[in-house]
Amino acid sequence: MVALPLHPTSSQYRCPRCHALLYRRGQPFRYIIVMAVTTLALFVPLTFLPILDLDIMGLKAQSTLFEALWMVYKDGYYLIAFVSMMTGLLIPVIMMVLLLLMLVPLHFGYRPRGVALWFRLYEKMREWGMAEVYLIAVIVAIIKLLGMGTLHIGPGFVLFIFFFLTFYITTVWFNPEDIWYEDAMDY
Amino acid sequence: MKMRWITDIEADRQLCLHCRKLHPLTVRVCDRCGEPVHQRIPHSIPVTWSLTVAAIIFLVPANLLPMMIVKSIAGEDAGTIMDGVIYFLEHGEAGIGIVIFTASIFVPFFKLTVLFYLLLIVHFGWRRRALFGLKLYRIIHFIGKWSMLDIFVVALMVGIVQFKNLATIVTGPAAIAFMLAVLMTMFATEHFDPRLMFDKEISKKPETKQHEGIDHG
Repeated sequence: MVALPLHPTSSQYRCPRCHALLYRRGQPFRYIIVMAVTTLALFVPLTFLPILDLDIMGLKAQSTLFEALWMVYKDGYYLIAFVSMMTGLLIPVIMMVLLLLMLVPLHFGYRPRGVALWFRLYEKMREWGMAEVYLIAVIVAIIKLLGMGTLHIGPGFVLFIFFFLTFYITTVWFNPEDIWYEDAMDY
Repeated sequence: MKMRWITDIEADRQLCLHCRKLHPLTVRVCDRCGEPVHQRIPHSIPVTWSLTVAAIIFLVPANLLPMMIVKSIAGEDAGTIMDGVIYFLEHGEAGIGIVIFTASIFVPFFKLTVLFYLLLIVHFGWRRRALFGLKLYRIIHFIGKWSMLDIFVVALMVGIVQFKNLATIVTGPAAIAFMLAVLMTMFATEHFDPRLMFDKEISKKPETKQHEGIDHG
């Protein structure tokens, strides 16, 4: 254990024994709120825009991220469909919602009773949001499919890249510990 | 170099692993975020052991059974994880082949090896290796989720390629075994308390707040 001198500026502290990052102050809440709202806004069209069009010998297929997982579900692989859906798409979205539930009231100067619960859920989900893995998986799948027929990348794919980027920026900017500080309201 | 820290037992403090509030050792539930507070993660070692062993067992069918079955006019083609890697290497997409090999074969085996090593460090009290072990722990914590890559790829392929009689892709039984193995290694990593590697003696009951039994590092 070490004593941590708290500076108001964005300093960072490391453990003297293993040099792990102990604490780094996050960005102001209003920036994070804007990023989280952007992430959620990008998610809405993702649910119905196709990620790609595939054309094999005149037969056409279009697929959104959700339709692809729905097929897996219909094949009887419920667990795979469920876990992929949660980790790849829904957990990042739920994390953004929880974050807004915490930060928006704090930003407007009051601390609602649910904050502790939202915080705990957010912390538990942090490990399980895998949007970046899902993004690489989409790219791998596209390369695999290139050999099968004519392929056009749909608008959903571009949106998914932006969705991932804003999600990533939001989680990096937000340091959940900051919500406990007395001056959290000033953010 | 002189040690610049004191241990949690010496200071009579324990950390809430969720909101990082410091509490005296007698506190059971964090008054700030409401999570239970423990000096060390309870039953960390037995749970990590069992999840590690279970993951090894699941990895066997995951690597032997087909991951994805392609049905087309040319017939059925069932491929294991390794077949997928070889396919890419043969078709001049070495980059993708290496990505899949790393995510689906190298990472799970590396994680399990590291988990074993960490458990041995705690079991035999090799505290000189604790720092190195901690570095490995951070690596497997970081790369853990990437093993899910192949599962997502299979899920996407199955969802997209549905051309009735011409070509259809079906999920193979290995996918479910592989996913369970990956999830288990992730749970094992989360349940392992790396601080145990630095403790001088393994406390028989981490939950009893005995001051003797755990020495000071």
